[in-house]
Amino acid sequence: MSENNQACIDKFVEMAKAVACHVTEVSSTADILNYVVDLCEKKAPCELLVDEPGTATGPLGPNRCPTRVQRIVAAPQLSDDDFASLKALCDEKGFLCIRDNLRKYAAGIDVGLSEAILGVAASGTCMCDTTNEDWRLAGMISECAVMIVKKSQIYPDLPSIAGFMREQMGKGPEGTFTSLITGPSRTADIECVGAVGVHGPLEMHLLLVEG
Amino acid sequence: MHKAPQTYKEYHGQIDEALHDQQLRKTLDKYAVTYRENRAKVMRDIDEKGLIHAIAEFKDEAAAHMDELYEQFKREAEKRGVHVHLAKDAAEANQIISDIGKKYNVKRIVKSKSMTAEETQLNHKLEADGFIVDESDLGEYIIQLRHETPSHMVMPAIHLSRYQVADDFSKVTKVKQDPDIDRLVKVARVQLRRKFIQADMGISGCNFAIAENGAVTTVTNEGNARMTETMPRVHTVLVGLDKLVRSIDDAMIALQILPRNGTAQRLTSYVSWMCGAGPCASAPEGRKIMHVVFLDNGRREIAKDPLFHQIFRCVRCGACTNVCPVFRLIGGHKMGYIYIGAIGLILTYFYHGKDKAKVLCQNCVGCEACKNVCSGGIDLPRLNREIRSRLVSDKDDKNAMGSLMNAVMTNRKMFHTLLKFASKAQRPFTGGTQFQRHLPMMFMKHHDFKALPAVADKAFRDVFAQYKPKVLNPVMRVAIFAGCAQDFIYPEHLIAACKVLEAKKVAVDFPMEQTCCGLPLDMMGQRKGVQKVAIQNIKAFANGNYDYIVCLCASCCSTLKKHYAEFLESNGGISEAAVKAFSEKVVDFSTLCREKLGMTADDFTKIDEKVTFHASCHQCRALEAAQHSRDLIAAAADYVPCFEEEVCCGFGGTYSVKFPEISAELLRKKLKNVADTNATRIVMDCPGCVMQIKGGVEKNHMGIRVSHLAELLAERVKR
Repeated sequence: MSENNQACIDKFVEMAKAVACHVTEVSSTADILNYVVDLCEKKAPCELLVDEPGTATGPLGPNRCPTRVQRIVAAPQLSDDDFASLKALCDEKGFLCIRDNLRKYAAGIDVGLSEAILGVAASGTCMCDTTNEDWRLAGMISECAVMIVKKSQIYPDLPSIAGFMREQMGKGPEGTFTSLITGPSRTADIECVGAVGVHGPLEMHLLLVEG
Repeated sequence: MHKAPQTYKEYHGQIDEALHDQQLRKTLDKYAVTYRENRAKVMRDIDEKGLIHAIAEFKDEAAAHMDELYEQFKREAEKRGVHVHLAKDAAEANQIISDIGKKYNVKRIVKSKSMTAEETQLNHKLEADGFIVDESDLGEYIIQLRHETPSHMVMPAIHLSRYQVADDFSKVTKVKQDPDIDRLVKVARVQLRRKFIQADMGISGCNFAIAENGAVTTVTNEGNARMTETMPRVHTVLVGLDKLVRSIDDAMIALQILPRNGTAQRLTSYVSWMCGAGPCASAPEGRKIMHVVFLDNGRREIAKDPLFHQIFRCVRCGACTNVCPVFRLIGGHKMGYIYIGAIGLILTYFYHGKDKAKVLCQNCVGCEACKNVCSGGIDLPRLNREIRSRLVSDKDDKNAMGSLMNAVMTNRKMFHTLLKFASKAQRPFTGGTQFQRHLPMMFMKHHDFKALPAVADKAFRDVFAQYKPKVLNPVMRVAIFAGCAQDFIYPEHLIAACKVLEAKKVAVDFPMEQTCCGLPLDMMGQRKGVQKVAIQNIKAFANGNYDYIVCLCASCCSTLKKHYAEFLESNGGISEAAVKAFSEKVVDFSTLCREKLGMTADDFTKIDEKVTFHASCHQCRALEAAQHSRDLIAAAADYVPCFEEEVCCGFGGTYSVKFPEISAELLRKKLKNVADTNATRIVMDCPGCVMQIKGGVEKNHMGIRVSHLAELLAERVKR
């Protein structure tokens, strides 16, 4: 690995932490899957922001919404094999593990796992292909968003990724939806006081992998 | 819907109300300070000036090719299944969007923040046409509940407290909500999720419409725009033609400045790039129904204007508002109609008409803080003065004061005779002091926050011969440009300068035909008068063969140096070369001392006196010379920095006459910061600021000496 790339990685980590991301280096797919399941287990159960008929609900959460009894992990971008492994781990814990039709759970899911195309060091940003609606929703309706970032795919700044953006946006034949994501959803709309988790995730976790 | 003020009286009433809103004042004060600090932090990573220049360049290019970029965008977007519309005005845009809703049998609409939709007042139309419309940006949601308009382009509800928001949320949820910001944010999360799910159509704005591939881009933090763009089956984008850019690369340049300038972030949480109508599970054929409505509303015409086309460099970051000392006092509802702040005053004139702009556009103190931070390097104060000038020439501004000033000040002899007459006539009011102590009450109503200065017994021009340096072998020849305030009120500043220059063996001259620099007339929109005095001044200095023309008034100096060329741009009365030769020689006193004469601590007998500094707006921003003054103060005395040294003292020339209540408040804050330094003296480089600050110090019996830099230096310079 070149020194430049290490400098990029260090900067990326520093900047991501500056926007309240949890950053962890992991060495294998198993690590990623375990991280996701652990996170799901430790977090407070997801609040159902709207009624979801037929779903078992537990006590009210901090925002006076009923909570999910069965936790949900969404991982629409995983390969068939990796998804099967994750599903097995989720099954052990009694979590629902899904990869499509995320709209059905728009009331909120616990953890969404996505993979970035690349990272931008200058701002701790992830560039993601979110054309597929499920891929996009995994990072929108989850309380905790987890993003895999490849260390070799971290670039210094926005101008340096314009070419990748062009390539990604041009992947038709229909329309594409490309996202730059930097930390969790946030606002300062009330008295200019910063708060996270308005409409999107309350937490953002980045998993740095080799390769 | 708030109204734009039609008269000063009405406007003063609105301003008074805002000045007494303690919550507003507290929030905006805190924001101004944290914004400034945080912005500086995130700007350190990048080449701010270089990027601003690059934004100006590509936005100018885009404005010059607006029609072509629109055609290119349309072609590319249509290839990707997007319907593209062009609306000539607000009504047509609203109609198109309403028709889109009807065509697809839309009942519920969810919106993410769009200033363009505020410009067209889209919600009124949609609600009148029977649609249910919900705003989803937290700030917009709050103000929608209150039936208000945004008071800031980036933070629409910045004028409200957590308590007000808690009350509003309690009403809408029918549950008592605590005034805890974190909790209140989550109330919106809960309330709005169902709106996203239920909506048939989402309406968003657009930060960059990218011609090369027909993509629209939204730059947001909350994630509501993504929900708006994703959940409903129809997505309609309303976008001004000025948001067209050539390429992704252009957008990448702007994205390095926009969030840093807007909210002091390196990048916002989400930047979404929608290139064509993509997959959508809620749409009938699994593909999003996507419409992009471009709004002209005068933009194509403005793009052709040689001066005003630069307003399209605006990326709606709101920085001009964030740093505006007037906004900080009165908030956005009192400083704009739909668009807020410095750019808002200008856009109001173009998008909402002269009638809405004529009073509002007067409320600029001219401190240039906005120009200093603008993402596109727009010369906002100049454009605003230009609008005042247009209003005067269109006879929309029936301003007796401006016309009278024009009549008097363009006739040097009459003007100077009147000033000399005033020095005699004021005697019953001054009691022999430097202040007008006993002005009749009719003049005092809003102006009693400071002691007003008296006109000096003898003008500088009348005593110059007495103080002219006697230098045998001069190292340099300079001419003094006095400006009215120092010629007639504070000749002691110029006398002090003569002493310093004499010590440095500089020959000094004072051309008698010089007159007012023209700035006060320009502030009143009297452009013809400005040109007349400018030509007179250039001619007065033309034959002296001076090395420099030194000016001890930062405002006059920046006018002579930075604005004469633009005032005289298309005026046949004088050659461009003559204007340039004049302006290039003009230098402020601190720069003359530091850069041209190389003065250092060795030139002074340092005194152990605590001296603080007020960086006059035109000195620190227009002339970028404040550091010279700090260095010189530190060379001559014990320099103590002052909090918000570079924030306006509230003088602003004729501004303090038009808006005395705001001027008073800015002065009060300045005096508090000065008092906190425990300095026994404050120094500055502008007689206007001396007038303001000295008047405040006198009125409040603060016992602090207020001096021009030249006075301090004259006392301590080694002879």
